[in-house]
Amino acid sequence: MYTSAVFEIKNLKRQYGQGFLLDIPSLVIERGKSYGFVGPNGSGKSTLLRMLAFIDEPDEGTIRYHGNDSMGERGYVTEDRTIRVSVTMLLQEPYLLKRSVFENVAYGLRTRGMRRGLRERVYESLNMIGLNPETFSHRKWSELSGGESQRVALAARLALKPDVLILDEPTASVDRVSAHLIKEAIKVVRKNYMSTLLIASHDLVWLHEVSDEILRMHEGLIMGSEEDNFITGPWSLEDDGLWSTTLHDGQQIRALKPPSPTSIALLNTVSTIVTTERPDHLSAQNILAGRLMHIYTFENSERVKLDIQVANLSLNATVTRAAVRALGLMPGLDVWVVFKASSLQWQ
Amino acid sequence: MKRFLLTAFVFLFVGFLALCVLAPVTLFAKNPVLRMATTTSTDNTGLLDILAPVFQKDTGIELQWVAVGTGKALALGQNCDVDILMVHAPDAERKFVNDGFGVDRKEFMYNDFIIIGPKSDPARIAGKSVQEALTRIESSSAPFASRGDDSGTNKLEISLWKSSGFSIPDRESWYIQTGQGMIATIIIAEERDAYTLTDRGTYIKYEANKSGNPPLTILVEGDTSLLNQYSVIAINPERCPSAQYELAIQFVDWITSDKTQQLIGDFKLLGKQLFTPNAE
Amino acid sequence: MGYIAEGVVTALKLLVRGDPETYSAVFTTLRASSISILASLVIGIPLGFLLGYYNFPGKRQIRALVDTLLALPTVVVGLVVYALITRRGPLGGLGLLFTIPGISVAQTILILPIVISLTATAISNLDIRFKRTVMTLGADRRRTAITALYESRYGVLAAAVAAYGRAIGEVGVSMMIGGNIKWHTRTITTAIALETGKGQFAMGIALGLILLLLAFIINWILQIMKRKT
Repeated sequence: MYTSAVFEIKNLKRQYGQGFLLDIPSLVIERGKSYGFVGPNGSGKSTLLRMLAFIDEPDEGTIRYHGNDSMGERGYVTEDRTIRVSVTMLLQEPYLLKRSVFENVAYGLRTRGMRRGLRERVYESLNMIGLNPETFSHRKWSELSGGESQRVALAARLALKPDVLILDEPTASVDRVSAHLIKEAIKVVRKNYMSTLLIASHDLVWLHEVSDEILRMHEGLIMGSEEDNFITGPWSLEDDGLWSTTLHDGQQIRALKPPSPTSIALLNTVSTIVTTERPDHLSAQNILAGRLMHIYTFENSERVKLDIQVANLSLNATVTRAAVRALGLMPGLDVWVVFKASSLQWQ
Repeated sequence: MKRFLLTAFVFLFVGFLALCVLAPVTLFAKNPVLRMATTTSTDNTGLLDILAPVFQKDTGIELQWVAVGTGKALALGQNCDVDILMVHAPDAERKFVNDGFGVDRKEFMYNDFIIIGPKSDPARIAGKSVQEALTRIESSSAPFASRGDDSGTNKLEISLWKSSGFSIPDRESWYIQTGQGMIATIIIAEERDAYTLTDRGTYIKYEANKSGNPPLTILVEGDTSLLNQYSVIAINPERCPSAQYELAIQFVDWITSDKTQQLIGDFKLLGKQLFTPNAE
Repeated sequence: MGYIAEGVVTALKLLVRGDPETYSAVFTTLRASSISILASLVIGIPLGFLLGYYNFPGKRQIRALVDTLLALPTVVVGLVVYALITRRGPLGGLGLLFTIPGISVAQTILILPIVISLTATAISNLDIRFKRTVMTLGADRRRTAITALYESRYGVLAAAVAAYGRAIGEVGVSMMIGGNIKWHTRTITTAIALETGKGQFAMGIALGLILLLLAFIINWILQIMKRKT
């Protein structure tokens, strides 16, 4: 059965003590697309990625891989090597086997029985992450720095030419030079191969450059897509019938009645308007003063995402490049964020 | 460098393993082996080191012996772990034969026991009889080292206390039970300026080790109760099917032969005769 | 103090002149211990691997048992083995008493817990990241297990070296089972016990020096292994 979906997740759950570490009712990963995962530590990113890499298993739910139910008869999926060899994951902490650089990169290939062309493939992968094969092949695992180790680990994965490449904070534990080389290598992979990429990272700029879609995770849940802003309560009823919550600098955000005073409001970034002068006489109930912190561009797209700090809240707005040019927007500029009370949807 | 040493070590190791495996194979085409249990004091005199090669030349049999205490030697005989015994505890030996464990018991040589002690001789036992000497030691609480190991020497010592009218001074602080062989006990006696009972053979060796001028000297000797009779006993093949009775009998015959008896008498250390042959 | 110096001098003479009794003891020690280390590795490494790698009911109890056996006194092992291989015992027919193979059997029992325990430790010290890494590179269960053993090789080697050192230096079992028979089952350690018992300190020191030398070499190799882990 051909499907463009690489992964189809249904009702995925993973226990953690009393509650759930992960609770994902539905998620589809499409072939050839790259997905970024953001969220604080402990939000379940690593666990989810490990499950998609088939090196960890859920307590409940299913993961279909290429349309096939990956939960084998024993309920333990990792035994089916034909599945696992096409999905590979780079762990957050650099980890190499106790052998030479060459042997580390060759391990996965040897496991598959590859003999001819082994050297070429290893050398090719080492070159991709900026390590000279001639000088580095014979180095031992103990002779490498953290950044070099992570690069070798990445090379080992790239050598497999996987259908799905999963990266968990690939640049978190490495030095700047290595981080740069890794990031560049991924960009090349994305451009030249049809791999599906799943990347978790705190480096938002790079993530935006390299992802087609960004998924936000919070306490084991996937919170809409990255297109939404979160605004937390508590919400209290005002005299005019609307509900409001107060930010740290005294500014208020106003919304229609929430299900409960502690509900979380979602504000779509497209509904968020940005101005450089405070507007008057608007029907919108929310006019907030803030500062533009970052501008994120998307490759081959007119879309631009603005990251604006409003008191203690970080709000994103999706605008066009034209708008950026027209308004002369740049980081550091004081701006106003405008949206209607009815734009706020309840979680 | 590290790699070379490691490889060298591995090679050596494998080489030894190869030797270990191969060596036993060559040993299979060798002479018959007669296994003997004897006492440490006998072994320490070095007599067996002289006799064994002659025995092998005369009969083609290789003698191998373990040197343990008399008690253990008898136990090894009972357990059929050896083919022949050479010990010097006549009472225990007679019981051993009566119980059917041993056959063809032959007395073949003796030496004597002596009481040695510090030159200063605080209990004044020099030249006295055994009974008198032990009485004086007991009354003056002079330190006395005993083997305390159920050996032939030990059994004799206990019987001497008894015949002198004492029970074993087991709990007395001056009575030192070493639980070890004769030389070790003499060394401890020397450390503690104590008296001790020893066979003359071990004493002569001890004297030789001290370049002829030992701190402990002979104080009591010649008493008839100090006789130390050696015997060989073959292990009863009916009790122990694995015992090589034919080889053992050859040794019994050989050690009581005139030629060997002469050898025993000629055995000297420091110019002193150790044993007196007395086979019938 | 005088006879220690005298002993050392005599020791060097014995070693240099190739004194046959001395070298016989050395050779016997190496023979007996090499057989026992080989046997204990063949039996112990797989068992240690199973103990360290897999989870099963009673794993902790078995591990605790093995660790307790580490402290088994040699005389106890000697007694038990003697009771087994004495002619009147169940294995008497094998004729192992007072032979080198007999010593090897007893030494193997003695050092087996060392091999098992240290191997299990080396295996269980493997990071969780090891399994994840190897699995994500495509290894199945069997391959993962084999790679795990190879990854722990330095720890396992250290176990072998430690066990060898123990075997070479032990005297209780060699004495009780070997019988200290000259030229045949007299090892370095039993010879030292005998010679010092006889008051022959020079010989005892000579053998002691050799034993120390062996111990140093073994320990040095152990250090190299440890640094690699």
